[in-house]
Amino acid sequence: MLHRLNPSLKLAGLIIITTAILIYPSWRFSGLLLLLTILGYKISNVPLDVSKKRIRFLVAFSALLFAFQVLMTANGTILFFIIPRYDFMGPFLPVTDFGVEKGFGMSLRFLLVVFSSMLFVSVTDPTLLAHSFTRLRIPYRYSFALVIALRFLPLFDMENKTVRMAQRSRGISISVRGMSRILRTIRYTFFPLLISALSRVDALSLSMDGRGFGHSRTRTYLRKSSWIALDSAVLVLLSTLLLTSILLTLGFLPQVSAII
Amino acid sequence: MLEIRDASFSYDNEKMILDSVDLQIRRGEITVITGPTGSGKSTLALILAGFIPRVIEGAFTGSLLIDGKNVEDDMISEIARKVALVQQDPESQISTLLVCDEVAFGPENYSVTPSEIQKRVEVSLNAVESSHLANRPTYALSGGEKQRVTIASMMAGKPDFLLLDEPSASLDPKGIQQLQKILLDFKDSGYGILCIEHRLATILPIADRVLRLSESRLSKWNDKTSSTRTTPVEHFRRLDSVDPLLIAKGVSYSYGTISAVRDVSLSVYPGEIIALMGDNGSGKSTLVSLLAGLLHSTNGATYIDGVSSIEMTAQDIAARIAVVFQNPNHQIFERTVQREQHLVFDVLDSLGEIPAERPDEVLLAAGLAELKERNPFSLSHGQKRRLNVSSVTVHEPLVYLFDEPFIGQDEIGRNFITQTIWKRGESGGAVILVTHDSTVATSLCSRIIFLERGSVLLDGPPMIVLNRLGEIGYGEYAVLGVMS
Repeated sequence: MLHRLNPSLKLAGLIIITTAILIYPSWRFSGLLLLLTILGYKISNVPLDVSKKRIRFLVAFSALLFAFQVLMTANGTILFFIIPRYDFMGPFLPVTDFGVEKGFGMSLRFLLVVFSSMLFVSVTDPTLLAHSFTRLRIPYRYSFALVIALRFLPLFDMENKTVRMAQRSRGISISVRGMSRILRTIRYTFFPLLISALSRVDALSLSMDGRGFGHSRTRTYLRKSSWIALDSAVLVLLSTLLLTSILLTLGFLPQVSAII
Repeated sequence: MLEIRDASFSYDNEKMILDSVDLQIRRGEITVITGPTGSGKSTLALILAGFIPRVIEGAFTGSLLIDGKNVEDDMISEIARKVALVQQDPESQISTLLVCDEVAFGPENYSVTPSEIQKRVEVSLNAVESSHLANRPTYALSGGEKQRVTIASMMAGKPDFLLLDEPSASLDPKGIQQLQKILLDFKDSGYGILCIEHRLATILPIADRVLRLSESRLSKWNDKTSSTRTTPVEHFRRLDSVDPLLIAKGVSYSYGTISAVRDVSLSVYPGEIIALMGDNGSGKSTLVSLLAGLLHSTNGATYIDGVSSIEMTAQDIAARIAVVFQNPNHQIFERTVQREQHLVFDVLDSLGEIPAERPDEVLLAAGLAELKERNPFSLSHGQKRRLNVSSVTVHEPLVYLFDEPFIGQDEIGRNFITQTIWKRGESGGAVILVTHDSTVATSLCSRIIFLERGSVLLDGPPMIVLNRLGEIGYGEYAVLGVMS
């Protein structure tokens, strides 16, 4: 279902969610939005496979953030000690209710920002996003820069791997011992990548010029973004979310802030 | 008719790339231009497409005419309506993420109505036999598919003339046959076509006329002056009595969920020169990286000179193996040709006795001696490739693994690389050569390993493998090679 929403609206949604949890950093609020994001994965049939390396890394990193916050926050009511009292020793490393709350807040916010960004990328067609930008009167040259960046990202990732293999085949190992070696490693990696990227830029700009890119101030689109009734409803919801987070931050909704 | 008159061009105001060249491309005709690396063939195409002098700087004199009209004052987007250029590397020319968007890109820029664009997308994709690709992401296409989509995206602009720079460079024989058919169809529909080609054999059957660009001038191509065929080698015999130099035992490799190499086992003996063949995407490059110990297989193991590659450091590998990858830019690291040639001596501490004059001798043989102080990145594609070969083989490691080394090479380049390969086989080393060219396989190699979807389909002497390929539905490998 999220696939059908207007791409600019989805981008606005991502910005609003990120802003909301930055100005009102409650863990319950972040948790609620994270649940809604996961629901977004479900309803748009985008797999969120916890067995995948990247997802596992993200979850592990958020757990690390949680542990770090809990250990570093000493104020609040002590719940228990990680190292209990033994004879004359201890107790050490208190865990406080405030620390746990802060830890949850931090790790949930991290997961929310990353997962909602991933969901946005998965359910948004860059060409339609470019078109929706032109509707917002952004010149198409700028919106196409985004499309091209997204087009070439996987390619540069692949090229980076090839350059590393080429280095290894020449006996060059990544070394950080000494400034000159670090500089050499950087040179040996960035030179080939940069040259390859520049030669691609040349070919790409010829290819675009050769197909009339920039011929006139406007252009037509084969596939266009649209605005449907559902978009209006989601816009209302997102505006309410932003307004609520602002009111919560300013303390205008004490009853609500007691819950979330 | 597309025409240039008295065209001269120099990038730096010193070295003339083209000198008073006249050329006419007629509708309904396929013209082929061949010539040595760096002779200015691509530059000629850039002039014909109007990019020189509008987009690319340099000293240009002469005129470009379309149907008799001098288009000197026309903008590039006006000329592009009539003349389309398909550059060498299709990957770099694709600017969107979906095939139908890519084909629609040109007409969209000219503000064609969406319904007309839809029609053009369907017709153009159909013309290159790729209608089934319309909704596929561009990054998931094979090399041949990317090239067909690039041609379709140019045809969607409805030009009158189509210029193609090395269109067959990285295509497998099936792709080349498809390309020949597409170009013939375009010719019959009245398009004027110009092909720039090193591998003349691939395009000669459909060419109406062939010209040669050399020493800044165009002349009629003469069959007799074309590349001399190398004689088949019979004396490289595999030495079964000695230990293999490379062993793969049940190796497999996957990129995510896509399996590239499946359960491959093979041994490479001293004296062998092996052609590794197979369609685009059959796993040849991945197998080369596995054999070189640069990728580690998910199953099985590879051994280099008796040692498991997992236990080897980068230096151990570089001392024993020379790898040449497909894209020359990915494997040049130094600032001058000379330093690139000496890189291996800076990196490897324990190389045996190597005569001090050897690096320079190899550079001379590669035809790069005069370019020693040049920045390698400023060399032509063919020269870079020769530098790759000379700099990775200067210390004569045991095994050479070359991935498509002959792409974009003229006669000098081909001879240098051929000699390098022969010498290694003769002196007890081994060479694995990834190639689509059965002529190379039969004239240079003692064995062909043919991959199909990541597994070894055939492994044996070249003639036997090629004949068998003809019997099992891979006839195009034989047709484009020795059996033509």
